[in-house]
Amino acid sequence: MALLEVKNLDVRFAVRGGDLTALRGISFTLDKGERLGLVGESGAGKSVAAFSVLNLIAKPGYIAGGQILFEGKDLAAMSERELRKIRGNRIAMIFQDPMMTLNPVLTIGTQMVEAILAQRKISKKEARAIALDRLQKVQIPSPEKRLDQYPHELSGGMRQRVIIAIALLLDPEIIIADEPTTALDVTIQAEIMDLLLNLCEQENVALMLITHDLGVVSQVTQRMLVMYSGRIIEQGPTREIINDAQHPYTQGLINALPQMGEPGERLFQIPGSMPSLKNVPSGCPFHPRCNFATEQCKQSMPEYVRSGNVDVACYEVANLIEQEKRMQEAES
Amino acid sequence: MTSPLVSIRGLEKRFDLSGSLLEQITFEGGRFRRKQEAVHAINGVDLEVQKGEALCVVGESGCGKSTVARTVMGLLSPSAGEIHYGGQRIDNLDGKAALPYRRKMQMIFQNPYASLNPRMTIQQTLEEPIRFHHPDWSTIQVRDKIHEVMHSVGIDPDWGSRFGHEFSGGQRQRIAIARALAVDPEFIVADEPISALDVSIQAQVLNLLMDAQESRGLTYLFITHDLAVVEHFGTRVAVMYLGRVCELADTATLFAAPRHPYTQALLSAIPKLEDDRPSHIRLKGEVPTPVNLPSGCVFHGRCPYANDRCRQEVPRLIATDGGTQVACHAVEEGRL
Amino acid sequence: MTTATVSRWDRFRESFFWYSFKRDKVAIASFAVLLLMVLAAVFAPLLAPTDPYDLAQINIMNSELPPVGLDGADSAFPLGTDAQGRDLLSTILYGTRVSLMIGFGAVVLQAFLGILFGLLAGYLGGKVDAILMRIADVQLSFSTLMVAIIVGAVFKASFGNLMFGEIAIYMLIFIIGVAEWPQIARTVRASVLAEKKKEYVDAAKVMGFGTRRIMFRHILPNTLSPIFVIATVQIANAIISEAALSFLGLGMPETQPSLGSLIKSGFDYIQSGSWWITLIPGLVLVVLVLVINLLGDWLRDVMNPRLYKG
Repeated sequence: MALLEVKNLDVRFAVRGGDLTALRGISFTLDKGERLGLVGESGAGKSVAAFSVLNLIAKPGYIAGGQILFEGKDLAAMSERELRKIRGNRIAMIFQDPMMTLNPVLTIGTQMVEAILAQRKISKKEARAIALDRLQKVQIPSPEKRLDQYPHELSGGMRQRVIIAIALLLDPEIIIADEPTTALDVTIQAEIMDLLLNLCEQENVALMLITHDLGVVSQVTQRMLVMYSGRIIEQGPTREIINDAQHPYTQGLINALPQMGEPGERLFQIPGSMPSLKNVPSGCPFHPRCNFATEQCKQSMPEYVRSGNVDVACYEVANLIEQEKRMQEAES
Repeated sequence: MTSPLVSIRGLEKRFDLSGSLLEQITFEGGRFRRKQEAVHAINGVDLEVQKGEALCVVGESGCGKSTVARTVMGLLSPSAGEIHYGGQRIDNLDGKAALPYRRKMQMIFQNPYASLNPRMTIQQTLEEPIRFHHPDWSTIQVRDKIHEVMHSVGIDPDWGSRFGHEFSGGQRQRIAIARALAVDPEFIVADEPISALDVSIQAQVLNLLMDAQESRGLTYLFITHDLAVVEHFGTRVAVMYLGRVCELADTATLFAAPRHPYTQALLSAIPKLEDDRPSHIRLKGEVPTPVNLPSGCVFHGRCPYANDRCRQEVPRLIATDGGTQVACHAVEEGRL
Repeated sequence: MTTATVSRWDRFRESFFWYSFKRDKVAIASFAVLLLMVLAAVFAPLLAPTDPYDLAQINIMNSELPPVGLDGADSAFPLGTDAQGRDLLSTILYGTRVSLMIGFGAVVLQAFLGILFGLLAGYLGGKVDAILMRIADVQLSFSTLMVAIIVGAVFKASFGNLMFGEIAIYMLIFIIGVAEWPQIARTVRASVLAEKKKEYVDAAKVMGFGTRRIMFRHILPNTLSPIFVIATVQIANAIISEAALSFLGLGMPETQPSLGSLIKSGFDYIQSGSWWITLIPGLVLVVLVLVINLLGDWLRDVMNPRLYKG
């Protein structure tokens, strides 16, 4: 059994003039110790997906259907009290902005101890020892001193380390990291990513990494899913997708990277932009921007087909696979 | 060699932190002292932008790259040094005298959500600069010009009556580019023009900037933190660290053979699609604050090759045999 | 031209503003009541049964008649009469008119001064900012009433009572307008400080636009929403200030009564049982100020940019 299994998740936002569908039919699994990347541009719903795993969607959003099975129990059907035992304890979260997690008027130590005591019945002294241990794990220089410092006394990179230490406090099963390094500089970003990667391996923690950066995903994760307009359009082993993307959108996303083009030449570009949730196109939401779009794409959302180890939702890919099969049959 | 279009000479910019005279006075060790603090955003930058090229300035946050851009554009006045445009010193010109240069030099900003006036329609946004710089133009001339720039950045002329907030980030950035192009500039300073955009939109905007450069013969000063973009877009690259240029080279040369230890670390930190395992050059610590600059080479605190000379003496930009200019004692001495 | 107005109307109908107005019953009710009162005040000369300014229409024999429904009421005077025999309904209509005029007038003056000084202080900064804001601080540290009492007393002494009656309304607009401009100036300055950091202002500077053009054409329109909210509440405040001054005998004279002076003129007769002369104008004043404040609250909620997500 997978550690986390999301089945057919639908998330909607109730706004004036009806509901907006933010996530449609999201299904994926996360095994123990696995590192999974959620890739997509802004508006694709990757952050909503991350928040909904913890059943943390703020109003007017709500889970309209599907299941979120964590160790076989459905988080979508749990009471707020039961959920609190899981959030931060079994599943931890790291945000892009460290100040979303850190309270500016409390010391790092106080906040860490409080986080532990909220879930465990141990003494303050023991909690402080755990906090110190985690700060050592994230390789913060002079961790003793940091416990008594306030968040504003730390640099951006250091704060993000503290956040990771807080995420590790209660030995979680899963860490969900939402763009954890986007606000940081390139050199710091690389360090933090290394750290996160090593810690997840050492502690055998599953990582769900939400990012728009294909480079980061390709270096850190084992499997990835690509989201577009609230749907997963492609998912499978990271290496396979990066090296040989199937979906035209994923292909476009990779080919649009400046490092893929010849210096000085025009880059490959996907025309148009991601539709807003208010007017998601019919059928495959990508069809207005897709070079391969047919009448069929405009009418209905393609089912997933399997190409290698990758699941793709695209009629074009399905047709290609079909053709190949027929050719093979004809040969034999 | 022809004279450069823009030259920046000995540019320095400090931002005063200490406030008024009263706030500067502190009581220390039994006596009153006047204490002045300043952010040293730029500390002696010399750059020349040749006509027709795209000079990229890269560096991490706080390295002063945006301050360079804003000082060149006259949004900030330099604390020391000069800015020349086409041989004419422009940093000391006032309103009227600066006007011709306002038309020739334009700027594209980072955040397309803030760079368009929310209370103005697209039509008004584009019309105002044209009318301002060409008061003698007829309504038809103005209209044709607006159509021409809207067409060239790929936005529908029918959108004129709409407001900026009705568009996506990429479309807004196109409108901002159209506004800059509307006055037919020769030189464009682009301050992180794509870093607020999505990956697929970044490519669109980069292509647009390259097309505009080709068709209009533009010269760019391109500020960015993204080395992948630099490699693709730049003719030459200046790498900045703590308000100083530490390496200046042709793009191909810099990416093939980075000389300065900081450039090397920066290049190795880019996440690449190809390899599975990151193999970064690890730098010690983080960028120091520009309030108290380190003595000597500003990079010595994080540099694996630093020695006593680096801690005391400021390195100058020196040309090396590869054509690269590097400010590093280790490179100069042949230690690296 | 017509297409442009139509599209603006459409835009308004699709806007969050209109949407939230339609859904807020309190806002609709407040707006309806306010509209009714404003219309009644504007058309007072047409609606009022008598002209309270016209001494010929007043008969002292009709004084202190109670409202209809009470013993001794006269159906010609639905809300009764005051001590001078004026029809209370007519005086209230005219009084509301005076109160609203002073309220609006004072806020227009406040807004003019506040916007001008706020823009200058916020955009130019430095010494201009320091001087203007210190003046505002000094001004705020005097209470409006105190300033008004002093100025009013000086006016009254130097012009005499008769002359004073004629210029009283302008004087009140002037006093309340000048006394309260710092409120608006501070709000404007705060939003100018936020706006001027935005890149569209830099873009305008890069274009070479002059300071005046940037201030008034680019920044000012973006600071209007909070001004709108404040101005609404300030109308209510101005009406209250005027009523207080009039109640103290420093505002409108009884020959041209505002709601405040009506309350005052009736106050002496509460003891003698003629409570309606004070109570009814008082109620009108309370309702007027209440609906304006309710509308102001609603506006603040709607225009709060953090909540503004269409």
